[in-house]
Amino acid sequence: MNMHIFKFKIMRKTILIVLAVFISISSCKKDDPIYDINQIQSNSYNANKTKLKTPGQYISILYANLFQQALSSNELVEITRCIESVGDKEIVHEVIISNFMNKEGVTVPSDSLMRADLDLFIEETYKRFYVRDITEAEREYFLNFFESHPNVSSEMVYTAFSLSNEYQFY
Amino acid sequence: MKRRKFLKNTALGTTAITMPFILSSGRLFAASGSAMADHLVFVAFAGGVRQQESVLQRYLLDSQDYPSEGNIMYNLLNGNSPTDKIVYGTEGTVSGDTPIPKILNQTLESQGTIFKEMVSSHAGHYGGLNTLLTGNYQYTQGLNSKSQMPTIFEYVRRHLGVPASKVWYIGNGIGNSIPLLDYSIHPDYGSQYGANFLAPTITFGSDGVKHLKNAKVYHPEEELDPMYKMKYFLDNVWKSQGKAMPDIGNTDEEKYEIKQFFKDMFEKTEQGIIAHPPVSGGELDSIGYACEVMKRFKPKLSVVYLSSVDSCHSNFTSYVQNLHRADHGVGHLWDYIQNQIPEMAGNTAIILAPEQGRNLESNNIIDANGFKSYDHSDANTKRVFGMMAGPGIQSNLSLGGENNSQGDLLNITPTIAEILGFKEDMMSSGLTATNQSLFDLI
Repeated sequence: MNMHIFKFKIMRKTILIVLAVFISISSCKKDDPIYDINQIQSNSYNANKTKLKTPGQYISILYANLFQQALSSNELVEITRCIESVGDKEIVHEVIISNFMNKEGVTVPSDSLMRADLDLFIEETYKRFYVRDITEAEREYFLNFFESHPNVSSEMVYTAFSLSNEYQFY
Repeated sequence: MKRRKFLKNTALGTTAITMPFILSSGRLFAASGSAMADHLVFVAFAGGVRQQESVLQRYLLDSQDYPSEGNIMYNLLNGNSPTDKIVYGTEGTVSGDTPIPKILNQTLESQGTIFKEMVSSHAGHYGGLNTLLTGNYQYTQGLNSKSQMPTIFEYVRRHLGVPASKVWYIGNGIGNSIPLLDYSIHPDYGSQYGANFLAPTITFGSDGVKHLKNAKVYHPEEELDPMYKMKYFLDNVWKSQGKAMPDIGNTDEEKYEIKQFFKDMFEKTEQGIIAHPPVSGGELDSIGYACEVMKRFKPKLSVVYLSSVDSCHSNFTSYVQNLHRADHGVGHLWDYIQNQIPEMAGNTAIILAPEQGRNLESNNIIDANGFKSYDHSDANTKRVFGMMAGPGIQSNLSLGGENNSQGDLLNITPTIAEILGFKEDMMSSGLTATNQSLFDLI
């Protein structure tokens, strides 16, 4: 009889402990704070670009970007030689890019398309050239710039991005 | 005008006049007027020249054991040309039988000072050119890397406060890492003081015609200005991450001028009116474009690199032909400066030196004329000459001789600095191997 009572007490104690543990785990859980703002990336968007493109990489990537097709190996060698023949790379890049812009087959949105939705245009341009999202500060700058410079064309924007230092890195 | 307004205007005007230029060196004033010349042209001559066929004027005697001697560089050197077995000229009846007519009435040797036997301690083209441009023998310098010591371009731009478009480096190609010497990686100097490098036979050659010629020259205010504004914004964002690109510092105006120059050169090339020497082609075309650069930009310092005589590794005939042509090219360059560029005539100095010599002993390669070929690796490679001419440089002066070396390629950089009037500034940097210029050896 005594043995029976002892077993019952042990079982009751075990049940009470399990219940207490369950209640303590399931109760008083703190909710994640919600501040009603969007998540932002704390690292800079371009921080992972650390390697400088070689002249060959730069020009083949640029060509593929502007013409949506690969540059032939012969032309790659010829253009690379042109780049190496001029010391000021900004100058020679600008000349090569404007030469590209004069060629048939270059894929640049029309100015009317650009002006129809400037926000979308600049977002797409950042993705196309920098392979990243635009930041709000950048968006603000460009939208204001386009507004104050109504004659800026899509070709000029593409040229500026092609010449920019961030585009030299990957 | 009221008295108070008059005083204010006068004070502002006086301040503007007396306000010193703040140079990038941190100095308040440009180097004092001790310059001997306003412009200097340095020709890194030919690319591995044996003393025997140049200043010693032994033509085929030493190299081929054939008894024909004489001077095949008669724009540079005094002396009669060979009379027997003429192969160094242009093609007449047979290849090389027609020497190119002399251009200069008076040789550079008689117009200036020649060091007939100088020392070059480097046996490679890039190392030798590196020495000429930095005043240091950099034996640990990698072939495919920029110089560790400042170049003469950087000294000129930093210590004289010269803009980028006034310092040019014209190469005859892009091989042998030649383009890398437009500036060094030295932390106190670097790209912001670099030269405008140009290899014109490529830029304006078939590659350039195909990929550069058809470029637009954008309108400076309506197109370039907003384009650059956008680029500067993008670059500032990038720079805020602590990243930047090397930049030799051409201003927007200078860039526009250089692009316009490119456009003009393509047109002149097409029309066949580039200022080439009477005999052109090959690297002599680089000389023609160098003349055009000088006419357009009137550089404070121009360096012209020639290297075609390096064909001597396998073709001695080609070597003497190219030596003769290089002499012709330099004669044309000097003549053009004196007669076609009024702003540089009479106030330009010229310095010439090969970056190295060539071997005494031949290799095993025989050319079509049966002539032996020469590399550059033995003690004879250390033997070179040097010469200079221009304002303040003594004429008709010859120093040193076959068994009496005088001067070293290390003396060239201080000499350029002395002629342009900033030697003390350069020496105070403590970065050149010697403080002695060629003038100090006279």
